[in-house]
Amino acid sequence: MTSRAVSYQRLTRRVVIALASVVLLVWTVFPFVWILLTSLKSPGDIISVPPTFVFTPTVDNYTALVVGEQRGQYASTRPDFPRFFLNSMIISVGAVALSVAAGIPAAYALARFTFPGKNALAFVLLSFRFVPFIAFVIPLYILYQRFGLYNTHAGLILAYQLITLPFTVWMLRSFFMEIPIEIQEAAKIDGCSWLGVLGRIILPLSAPGISVTVILGFMFCWNAFNYPLMLAGRQTFPVTVGAIQFISYEQVLWGQMAAATIVAALPQLLLSLMVQKYIVRGLTMGAVK
Amino acid sequence: MTTPGSRRRRRERFLPYLLLAPALILLVGMLYPFGLGIYYSLTNYWLQYPNRFRFVWFDNYVDLLGEPLFVRALEFTIGFTLVAVAVQVGLGLAVALFLHARIPGRRAIRALMLMPLMIPPVITALMWKIMMASTNAGILNYLLAFVGVDPINWFGSTQGAIISVLIIDTWGNLPFVALILLGGLQAIPTEPYEAARVDGAGPVAMLRYVTFPLLSPFIVLAITFRAMDSLRIFDVIYATTAGGPNDATTNLQIMAYQYSFQWYQMGKGMAQAMVLLLLVVIVSYLLMRLWNRAAESTQ
Repeated sequence: MTSRAVSYQRLTRRVVIALASVVLLVWTVFPFVWILLTSLKSPGDIISVPPTFVFTPTVDNYTALVVGEQRGQYASTRPDFPRFFLNSMIISVGAVALSVAAGIPAAYALARFTFPGKNALAFVLLSFRFVPFIAFVIPLYILYQRFGLYNTHAGLILAYQLITLPFTVWMLRSFFMEIPIEIQEAAKIDGCSWLGVLGRIILPLSAPGISVTVILGFMFCWNAFNYPLMLAGRQTFPVTVGAIQFISYEQVLWGQMAAATIVAALPQLLLSLMVQKYIVRGLTMGAVK
Repeated sequence: MTTPGSRRRRRERFLPYLLLAPALILLVGMLYPFGLGIYYSLTNYWLQYPNRFRFVWFDNYVDLLGEPLFVRALEFTIGFTLVAVAVQVGLGLAVALFLHARIPGRRAIRALMLMPLMIPPVITALMWKIMMASTNAGILNYLLAFVGVDPINWFGSTQGAIISVLIIDTWGNLPFVALILLGGLQAIPTEPYEAARVDGAGPVAMLRYVTFPLLSPFIVLAITFRAMDSLRIFDVIYATTAGGPNDATTNLQIMAYQYSFQWYQMGKGMAQAMVLLLLVVIVSYLLMRLWNRAAESTQ
């Protein structure tokens, strides 16, 4: 093989790699770019044929989101986006707090004690990851209507435990098990009770893992759509259900919907940067590290 | 006779249950509605006609067999899962192999790929809904025109709707498969490759005889998670086609939703949900066996 043939081969290889990188980048990023552009367009620019890349940007769509129900022709039916955002915050924070409070002792028990039924319990919790939501939401809807939990933050926080509790217990357990057992034994010999082991050894040493679990749990709550679609009302809709309210019978408010999707996705994009390394672990309930 | 030591030991025996108590209470709170749901699937519960409530044994399940929509929804559920898993795991493997090679900017690409993965699926669907507008203002049809593709009626036609849902689901979940497999590739030690090189194996042979066998547990894991999620896909379909047109994208979850929350026939909806659950259990059992085999073969 001549040196020219080698360099030619190297060049084709580089071109192929560059092309593949560009395709992958465009496929991943272009939808975000386009939606961002759409959210900055006036209604005229949005429906222009052909679509425009150059236009006078406007923040009207975002203003309309913030101003919410107080303004506009369809004032009564207009989605109240600031409230949806607040709802998402309340429900997600509440659900994660409850799951972590119940999950820390449970994960500690599953990680460090042997008792009958331990594996069965862990398995039952894991299986919630794969259960069709509709099997839960139908009876929950009936119960919630009866007991006044329908369209309440408390009801949604309880329903979200289906998402966060199994996840929290499995993630925390996998982090707790990474702590060498020798440290715990040494503490016990020094007279530490189980509570002391948990408070002075396990929790401080797994603080990063707990933060990751909290952030990922919050993100999964933020993404939730099924449960609130059926169990929330206009006063308690989170952003995910709120964003589809821009599709009404008479029209689709494309610009505002684009702005809403950007606002709904933004916390996720920022948080995912913080927990980059742990996302796959979180999505597989700790199966892949 | 109780010495302090034995008392302590007895306390330790009950301790795990004490620690588990809060989680167990929540768990019971989840299992109770689930049990109630199974019961409802054996009744003719119709929210608007509470007086007619009656226990009907397996009538709802038997009725399903005679319902054409159920057969189609079952077909679509299984068919969509097969295609989505094949497409996503196939492409995900390609992307993982690509990123595993020392590509310039791979860290940046990897970070960017987290974006579609972590935003709400329903938001993903709405983003694509904007891009897939079937009018001439839709950016996707506009771009496709440059490569000579006629405008596609994305959500309006039977085929278009199925393909749209597949594309949107793939955009959101391809990064998941790619990242799992990339993690798997990075976990493979270098010795097998060196041994293969000594034996004179080329790149294709290395892929076939070293990479794939050692990666197989990760591939099965990716298939498992994607299959479970594809069987239950709801958000994307609900926000784009709502099961249409002509029920072309109605899967079991959408069908159960329509029965129970549009027509308020909770009994029938719950029976459909149980069929879907059974399907999920069967598929997860089969995949778990496959996983055990893959894990054993790599040891």
